[in-house]
Amino acid sequence: MQKAQRLLDLAALLLRAAEPVSWRDIQEQFPEDYGGSEEAAIRKFERDKAELLELGIPVRWLQGDEDLPAGYLIDKDEFYLPDLKLPPEDLALLYLSGSAALAGGDFPYARDLAHALEKLSFAARSPGASEAAGLAARSLSRGDEEGRAEVPAMLEELSRAIAAQKRVHLVYAGAERSETTEREVDPYGLYQSGGSWFLCGHCHLRRAVRTFHLARIRGIEMNRAQPRSRDFEVPADFSVADLATREAWEYEVHPAQAARVRLEGPVSIEDRASFGPRAAIREEEGGAVVELTVTNGEALLRHVLALGDRAELLAPAKLRRRARTILSALARRRA
Amino acid sequence: MSAEQLRKDDARERLRRVLFLVPYAVRHPGIAVRELAERCGATEAQLLEDLDFLLSVGCPPFAPDDFLDLYVERDRVYVALHQSFTRPPRFTESEAAALAAAVKALGGEGKDRVLEALRQAVPRERRKGYDELAKRIYAGSPPARGSVMDRLSRAIAGRRAVRLRHFSAARAEEKERVVHPYTLARRFGHWYLFGHDQARGRELPFRLDRIRDCAVLDETFEPPPPAALARARLFSEPHGHAIRLQLSRVAAAWALARPARLRVVEGEGGTGPVVVEVEGADAEWATRFALSFGGEAEVLSPVEARRHFQEAVERALARYQRG
Repeated sequence: MQKAQRLLDLAALLLRAAEPVSWRDIQEQFPEDYGGSEEAAIRKFERDKAELLELGIPVRWLQGDEDLPAGYLIDKDEFYLPDLKLPPEDLALLYLSGSAALAGGDFPYARDLAHALEKLSFAARSPGASEAAGLAARSLSRGDEEGRAEVPAMLEELSRAIAAQKRVHLVYAGAERSETTEREVDPYGLYQSGGSWFLCGHCHLRRAVRTFHLARIRGIEMNRAQPRSRDFEVPADFSVADLATREAWEYEVHPAQAARVRLEGPVSIEDRASFGPRAAIREEEGGAVVELTVTNGEALLRHVLALGDRAELLAPAKLRRRARTILSALARRRA
Repeated sequence: MSAEQLRKDDARERLRRVLFLVPYAVRHPGIAVRELAERCGATEAQLLEDLDFLLSVGCPPFAPDDFLDLYVERDRVYVALHQSFTRPPRFTESEAAALAAAVKALGGEGKDRVLEALRQAVPRERRKGYDELAKRIYAGSPPARGSVMDRLSRAIAGRRAVRLRHFSAARAEEKERVVHPYTLARRFGHWYLFGHDQARGRELPFRLDRIRDCAVLDETFEPPPPAALARARLFSEPHGHAIRLQLSRVAAAWALARPARLRVVEGEGGTGPVVVEVEGADAEWATRFALSFGGEAEVLSPVEARRHFQEAVERALARYQRG
């Protein structure tokens, strides 16, 4: 019997059973599958149980008592996706978030996300309109495939490696060099910043935590040996969110300096938020002043320049002079 | 990926699909084959194969009534025997973790309630695994309160119409539009709203950074029929001339790693500057993009885009010449 069929048969048996099904009974019902030596049969059954659990189906072992025999069963309450009991606006948020992520066409665990959105229609009493967002997302994620196959495929491979904690072999192109390096990386997590995805993990070549821009990964291969055993542990103090929410001007390039940026009013919420959660913003006549600590002045300079005449670097003086030099040079090029 | 791995994947995907399609068909008796396939993210051929496969599934002792029984009659799917597969299984840890990452990135007031509900929908034995995995993906910071994105997500969730002041790159003009917002999507580094434009009478994408203002209206709307959404696309043919930018080699390497749709037109493999072209962009975006490379990039053409860039540079320079 094929495995997919056996797993479903087993689920159907344990789901329908009125009382726990003993191992003997299971063996009798599946003589071809769980025959042979007792030890091999039990191992195979345990693997099947693990696979069912990975599909969201928990098979439980029940100790017998006076009323019930010992055996396995699937408790319907533990099996069926429960009603999430969320108010309609929360449910809509859930649909929208999942749909927006799926519609982007590159999201880790994209297939899982699609399955989850489908299942959501069962997890609420009246999902109604929210499903529309899910359907639109499905369609949008299919549109415009040109040149987009690589990052989603990489995200999928990395998603697997992260979940299973398996090491990956990377071929990585440096940002400013055309040559590539090959390295082993313990993938700790994935984050999105500025619309691009980054892998972070322990790099065995540099012997430190490094981040990798997915668009610069030329090749990737997950260690497929012993798929059920972990290759590494993620350090307890490691946080993907901390890495991801670091602004470019917070990368450690030079000692910390105080910086000030003036924003010309009316200041949009988006421009304000673009300086991150650690910036202090003081309202001022006709605008606002952003105060922040930088360890990579060049990155702040670039951010401010990109805001055009809506923003102006006030301090440090050296960075302000550099902004002026750059703009003068660009202005001279007009001829 | 090896052939064996692909086969394993297919088998697993099929299992996940059928665990959804059986209860869905139970709940929607007589659903059209095409619609069920669409719901399951499968082709019609795949769905029919799945139905064939299901005919062999049942539970011991495999008497006639012990099998699953789904059948197709005049292109519609009916379930005669469901063998208790009347609801899909709980979320797997990666399903819930992917949804959780998406929810965290979009924020909203109910975020914490939603995250807790997701956790409870994972089998008890896998909740620890889910907690671990959910920490491993960070899909972005939630939009600032009151920002265009924040307002749009509320409007979509509440099915409320929005009035947008939107700059159209194709027409180079700003217009007010009333839109029924359906969903948000991020592509090539930009966020888009996808919705029904009332005046133009069709579904269209709107780039968020071109929305100058957004007001949520009291007017509510009914969800669109699935057929309208099946045609949803983010991009049509790009309008207008492609914008050309020149970048230093170092800046070009960075630029090409960004999710914008850039195409190298000059200088590839050489040692000097690189010229790239981007379709469907507007002058404002191109100016910001070029300036974000700190003097290592400039907008070359077309004339209007070049002028926009130069004027922006001069206005910014004027600020620095004062003090």
